[in-house]
Amino acid sequence: MRLGPLLAILFAGLRRNLAVTSAVVITAAVCLAMLGAGLLLRAQVRTVDGYLLNQLEVVVDLTDDITPAQRAGLMDALRAEPNVLAVRYESKEQVYERFKHDFRASPEVVAGVSPADLPAALRLQLADPRRGDEIVVGYTGWDGVEAVRDQQALLEPLYRVLNGFSVAAFSLAAVQAVASGALIYTMIRVSAHARRRETSIMRLVGATNATIRAPFVLECGLAGLAGGLVAGGALVAAKVFLVDGHFGHQTTFPLFGWDAVWLSAATVVAIGALAAAAMAVLALRRHLHA
Amino acid sequence: MIRLDAVTMRYQAGSRPALRDVSLRIGEGEFVFLVGPSGSGKSTLLRLLLREERATSGLVTIDGVDLAAIPDRRVPLLRRTVGCVFQDFRLLPDRTVAGNVAFALDVIGRPRHVVRSVVPEVLALVGLAGKEKRYPDELSGGEQQRVAIARAFVGRPRVLLADEPTGNLDPATSEGIMQLLDAVNRTGTTVIMATHNAGLVDSRRRRVVELADGVVVRDERRGGYAQPQATDGPAPASQAAPGSVLTSREGG
Repeated sequence: MRLGPLLAILFAGLRRNLAVTSAVVITAAVCLAMLGAGLLLRAQVRTVDGYLLNQLEVVVDLTDDITPAQRAGLMDALRAEPNVLAVRYESKEQVYERFKHDFRASPEVVAGVSPADLPAALRLQLADPRRGDEIVVGYTGWDGVEAVRDQQALLEPLYRVLNGFSVAAFSLAAVQAVASGALIYTMIRVSAHARRRETSIMRLVGATNATIRAPFVLECGLAGLAGGLVAGGALVAAKVFLVDGHFGHQTTFPLFGWDAVWLSAATVVAIGALAAAAMAVLALRRHLHA
Repeated sequence: MIRLDAVTMRYQAGSRPALRDVSLRIGEGEFVFLVGPSGSGKSTLLRLLLREERATSGLVTIDGVDLAAIPDRRVPLLRRTVGCVFQDFRLLPDRTVAGNVAFALDVIGRPRHVVRSVVPEVLALVGLAGKEKRYPDELSGGEQQRVAIARAFVGRPRVLLADEPTGNLDPATSEGIMQLLDAVNRTGTTVIMATHNAGLVDSRRRRVVELADGVVVRDERRGGYAQPQATDGPAPASQAAPGSVLTSREGG
């Protein structure tokens, strides 16, 4: 079929089904915005990961009574660990310097602490910082070891919150996807009924199945595309007003960049159009007999 | 050209057959009236020729092609060679006369310049020149049926099936439609017309195939609507159409 007549049928159908089509656009937009939000939260987790993982270390606090031999044995054992890239010793003085630097904003805290109060430590740089807990489990309780601290554990609550939000966003998107699917199914049923004379004539004069179905599929695909564009717009707006305009001033953590926004927006637009068209194909099998 | 060999058609297994052991040959360019009471199987026969249904048993062929063997995706190609008009016209109310006729070409992907040149030609042929921009509800019943015939004929099908095309029309208008179908037939198109209009059939003295209870009971070369009183049962062999085969139980 030529493009002109196909578009004529398509727009006639869109006009006739304006109310249902609008409903599909709105639910699809909400669904896809949720999906996009979930994708952006995942991007945020990756951004935080990339930023912090290089700086995360496992710290082995040493007891004050550790002998040089014990310390050397401990360092040798740690260096033999496959996941350990480097082992660095920090004396009580060096730990104190670091402490002063970390708490430079709180002089009253620094004032109450002297080098003698802080343990000397071994700082481990890991090949895979996510597996720091293996070192914690393996070396806690060794002679001369006071405690083993995995700095990644400090980030667990942050990750839990981000992951929780992204799971919630994906769940909402899934619920909305069911609603959108049901609406598209209804839209096809109504549309196929309204156009039954047109489709029966098309069949009689020898139009192919693909030609008969194309306007329906395109109609749903366009509705999905429109929903995707609205959702993509919402993601861009969220980046401008919420992330850059609001969070950007409140946190020193790095926030996801525009590349993540464009990728998420493109993903939701593509998924919107394709999923809606696929749903239409499925519904047509039921409601349009060849 | 069209051939039915021992065709039986049941819509549901175990039900009374809509067609029973029907054998028929229709040559290229023939005009055939299909008569018989409602429920006698006329429409079923037309549906088989359109491949809207497949025969339960027997063979239906057009130009030697077994219609039952055509895969579903090739059926549209068959329908481009078989035009069809109905008693209820089946026009699209939101399209003009020209739009309704062009629709048949548009949906099979004919190029725009072809549509633009062919549609006015066909509308002139059916006597609707000057009414291209009217909508169906602005036309009389006869004119609407002319649009339907134009739409069925615009793709130059080799066969035109007409299922009671004058069923909703007054006698004078029916005569006009009949003349139009005659004209279509004169272009070489085979026309098969199912009808209850005795006057039209009697006035033409064309080939008449009569069905009763799904069986061909008469196949006359120059027949009338009703079975000749002098003859009891099937038409005499001398009157049978050339090439027609009567093998139904009652008929044979």
